[in-house]
Amino acid sequence: MSIDLILSKQNRDGGWPYVRGASWTEPTVYAILALLEAGEAAGAQRGLAWLRAKQLPDGGWPPQTGFDESTWVTALVALLPPEQLGEAVHARAIAWLMDTSGQESSAVYRLRMWLLGVPRLPEHEFPGWPWIPGTAAWVGPTSLAMLALEKENQRKPSALIQIRLDEGRRFLLRRMCEGGGWNHGSVRALGYESTPYPETTGMALAALRGVRSAATKNAIEVAEKFLGECRSADALNWLRIGLMAHGRLPGGYNPPVALTCRTLPETSLDWLLGRTQQAGRELFLG
Amino acid sequence: MAHQLTRRELLTTAAAATVTATAAGLSGCAPEQRKVAEARVSIVKVPAYDQSVYATMRRMLEEHLGHVRGLRILIKPNLVEFEPASSINTHPMLVHAAYEAFRAMGAAEIHIAEGPGHRRNTLDLAEAAGYFQTVPRFEDVFVDLNLDEVTRLKPDKQFSRIKKLYLPNTALRADLVVSMAKMKTHHWVGATLAMKNLFGVVPSGIYGWPKNVLHWAGIDESIADLHAAFPRQFAIVDGIVGMEGNGPIQGTPKAAGVLVAGRNPVAVDATCCRVMKIDPMQLRYLQLAAGSSDSPVMEENIQQVGESILSVATAFELIPQFQKFRLENS
Repeated sequence: MSIDLILSKQNRDGGWPYVRGASWTEPTVYAILALLEAGEAAGAQRGLAWLRAKQLPDGGWPPQTGFDESTWVTALVALLPPEQLGEAVHARAIAWLMDTSGQESSAVYRLRMWLLGVPRLPEHEFPGWPWIPGTAAWVGPTSLAMLALEKENQRKPSALIQIRLDEGRRFLLRRMCEGGGWNHGSVRALGYESTPYPETTGMALAALRGVRSAATKNAIEVAEKFLGECRSADALNWLRIGLMAHGRLPGGYNPPVALTCRTLPETSLDWLLGRTQQAGRELFLG
Repeated sequence: MAHQLTRRELLTTAAAATVTATAAGLSGCAPEQRKVAEARVSIVKVPAYDQSVYATMRRMLEEHLGHVRGLRILIKPNLVEFEPASSINTHPMLVHAAYEAFRAMGAAEIHIAEGPGHRRNTLDLAEAAGYFQTVPRFEDVFVDLNLDEVTRLKPDKQFSRIKKLYLPNTALRADLVVSMAKMKTHHWVGATLAMKNLFGVVPSGIYGWPKNVLHWAGIDESIADLHAAFPRQFAIVDGIVGMEGNGPIQGTPKAAGVLVAGRNPVAVDATCCRVMKIDPMQLRYLQLAAGSSDSPVMEENIQQVGESILSVATAFELIPQFQKFRLENS
């Protein structure tokens, strides 16, 4: 994968599509990260300008311009360096993340369930992040929000951020599948155990960086097994990020040669991982 | 078997048409008769996924749709998981058969389109599920509905509590949405068939994986909303090998050996339920979408063609929570 391919996919408005067509926030963030790493300042700045223009009044971002609400993609934007995005813009993104949690942890929902006599589920005890406000928290958006907040906490330590991070870790550990690893966040349904996915296992492991426990050990084993079997670029990217966060990515690991990156986020992340692996540092928190 | 079916369907249709015409002449109840005609449902025996499905599919589509020349067709399979050997996904051969049939019938534009609800990497999922192998130039004809451009829909009639429903433009632009579902039990709503399959049209790029906004808005009500959002549909349910037990993902394969199809998704789903020995009157989304007392959920309001329900019905195992859905006297 070359940085030229990423540059060639940039839209006139400065953003990037997933494959082709209109600009979306997620591919734009990953493309900017790749261009910043490659020193392609002009393309990155056009992308950053697009992002700044799309920030909503509440501080968050919509997934694409056809939608008018802030969602999980705000966590991705918050992963960008504040000095590049703009300190004030970045601060509002962090504030949006701090104010957002799954609907099941809201006081109104809990009161309603209590009045209805519905017992609280163990996985509802700690707040995580939803894909879109007004719905429940899930593994993917929680992991991404935690990565963004962890990065911010490294930069500017904050007790409040630390609280959300601790809660997020507990949320993820409660949502782990019985045999280790994570799926989208449904541990069981009507008493039936669910099975893990490679991509969400990688994401959750990345967010649980520094957590040492029997549970994370199980999850790492599941991730290592997925790494050998999986043929999805998206999943392999996240497995690499997750295993690197725990120092368990095999040295000199390269994804299978025949692997196809089908979207801009896949291409950008694969390129970034090649660079950061070579340099011996982690992608988001290194 | 193919010739038998054609003859049988021809005779049944002709007989029904005669009865309908006679009744119309006698009583003049045209609106009621039109409703019955719209709810024509075919049951076709198909014992295996082999080359014969191409001819069967073509015949079935021609019989129900007549001409589709110049139309934009969107084929929406049920693509859920990375497991080609399981019975989770609509079989790719059936989807290809529908694609080829519409092409031969002169459709102007045909897209295969899906927006999986749990897995983000849609094309990897399609590849693992055998779609790339079966459908030539799959990437050229496929649209990932999760990442399509969207338009906000402001429905006249809404069942769910969803505040803002955005749907993919490729689906909204289609002249005909062909829901190609898998015949499966479902641990939240009882059975997932042609109507529930439209959950895949809701863009995860906007709402996330899973499309949890639909759960909060009410699953049954959201199914009814989506049914209303696409008035021009054709439903095909893959029951050649379906899924029983803890569907729609963790159940076990169940060979019913049938395709069920028709223009009216409510009638098709109700028929599938009877084939699975599930009481369609228990499925709340069918009740919501059907509305009135002369609804196409009722067996007497469905014009059944091809095989009889009795000749193909086979009890799909139900998890304990849904035992009450078992069709009585089955």
